[in-house]
Amino acid sequence: MPAPATSYERIVYKNPSEYHYMKVHLEFQDGGVGLTAAQFKQLLISALKDLFGEVDAALPLDVLTYEEKTLSAILRICSSGLVKLWSSLTLLGSYKGKNCAFRVIQVSPFLLALSGNSRELVLN
Amino acid sequence: MATLRRLREVPRHLLVCEKSNFGHDKSRHRHLVETHYYNYRVSFLIPECGILSKELKDLVMGFGPYYFVKGLPLYELITHEFINTFVKKGSCYALTYNTNIDEDNTVALLPNGKLILSLDKDTYEETGLQGRPSQYSGRKTMRFSAEGSTMMSYFSGYGIQEHQPKIALSTTPDLRCPVLRSGLLGGEPEAACSAHELFDWLGAVFSHADLNNEPYNFVSTCCCPQPSSVVAQASLCSVTGFLLPERICVLLEQLCRYFDEPKLAPWVTLSVQGFADSPVSWRESEHGFQKGGEHLYNFVIFNNRDYWLQMAVGADDDCPP
Repeated sequence: MPAPATSYERIVYKNPSEYHYMKVHLEFQDGGVGLTAAQFKQLLISALKDLFGEVDAALPLDVLTYEEKTLSAILRICSSGLVKLWSSLTLLGSYKGKNCAFRVIQVSPFLLALSGNSRELVLN
Repeated sequence: MATLRRLREVPRHLLVCEKSNFGHDKSRHRHLVETHYYNYRVSFLIPECGILSKELKDLVMGFGPYYFVKGLPLYELITHEFINTFVKKGSCYALTYNTNIDEDNTVALLPNGKLILSLDKDTYEETGLQGRPSQYSGRKTMRFSAEGSTMMSYFSGYGIQEHQPKIALSTTPDLRCPVLRSGLLGGEPEAACSAHELFDWLGAVFSHADLNNEPYNFVSTCCCPQPSSVVAQASLCSVTGFLLPERICVLLEQLCRYFDEPKLAPWVTLSVQGFADSPVSWRESEHGFQKGGEHLYNFVIFNNRDYWLQMAVGADDDCPP
């Protein structure tokens, strides 16, 4: 039997998200490079290590989704590590001797916000 | 020390969680949906449902159309003819297309007839209008939504195209869902998940993230919040385009009626995401794009007509109403 009607309550959370989410895409200058999900994650860890050292290479980082064909992924990083991860991705320039760059498509503390991107709406 | 502090800084964001019942006289659900004007994506999730009912399918198909007008001079929106033909009838919404709120001039027409102009300094000075500085720091192509055939003929002198929203329907088998209790907004350890945990989980479902990871998995440790239970299947539906609050209200009402007959599902969800480059979020609250431009809300509708409402905004936004 359904429960009786609940009373009104409102809670405002400021900076509640312990994680931030990034939708990223890895682009190679000459294309044609494949990475598995594990290799992709390892690339992120080495980018963090190169810029910030061993301690920050161990920041809680997850690859929530990964598409090998397009080298696109949604990443989850602890909120206090967002700036470090983002700057590591910005400064990553190559993988196994091949020039590449990370494109950051969307960033949000709310994963639900990454399920759609209004800037990708094409009407022409 | 200041550098270290900046490295760990997090952009400010707010999550408002409310609980109430649709039967309460003072419930604000309708008002909050109606005043969130510029909606890009509407999604709903129904656990223990393999096929959507005809009523829901018809509602989803009935979201469109919207109109795309190229090269429209802004003065056309303030002519007497336009105001009499569309604005005074109400439910006329317009938003500039392909303009980034943090870089470009952006214009929005609200259904109450107000025209919002978000301008850079040079354009503002050229217009000579009186305004106020943005809280957070053209001939444009515009998106419109208003009465159909009248719109096509009114703007026939410009390049006008009719568009239909895009619809995505899917069924997910064996979905692990959080256990919720409508009276426990903050959750309770080992009894029910909180509204915040539900909000994150919903994001993972609609992003198609794997939620069955072990804690020692190298690639991802993301998993469903606990306590949870597995449902045999769940229906997911997303509609994207230029979507009107009026249609979202009707969809919300239909989802409330889902529980008029006994159902296995304990709750259903309805999520709405606003345009990242809209100049307003709710009512006339200024909206900006700092790093994400997010302004979205989510209803969790329980089988006893209780509901949760989560409203989320980013750094360059006022607190949701």
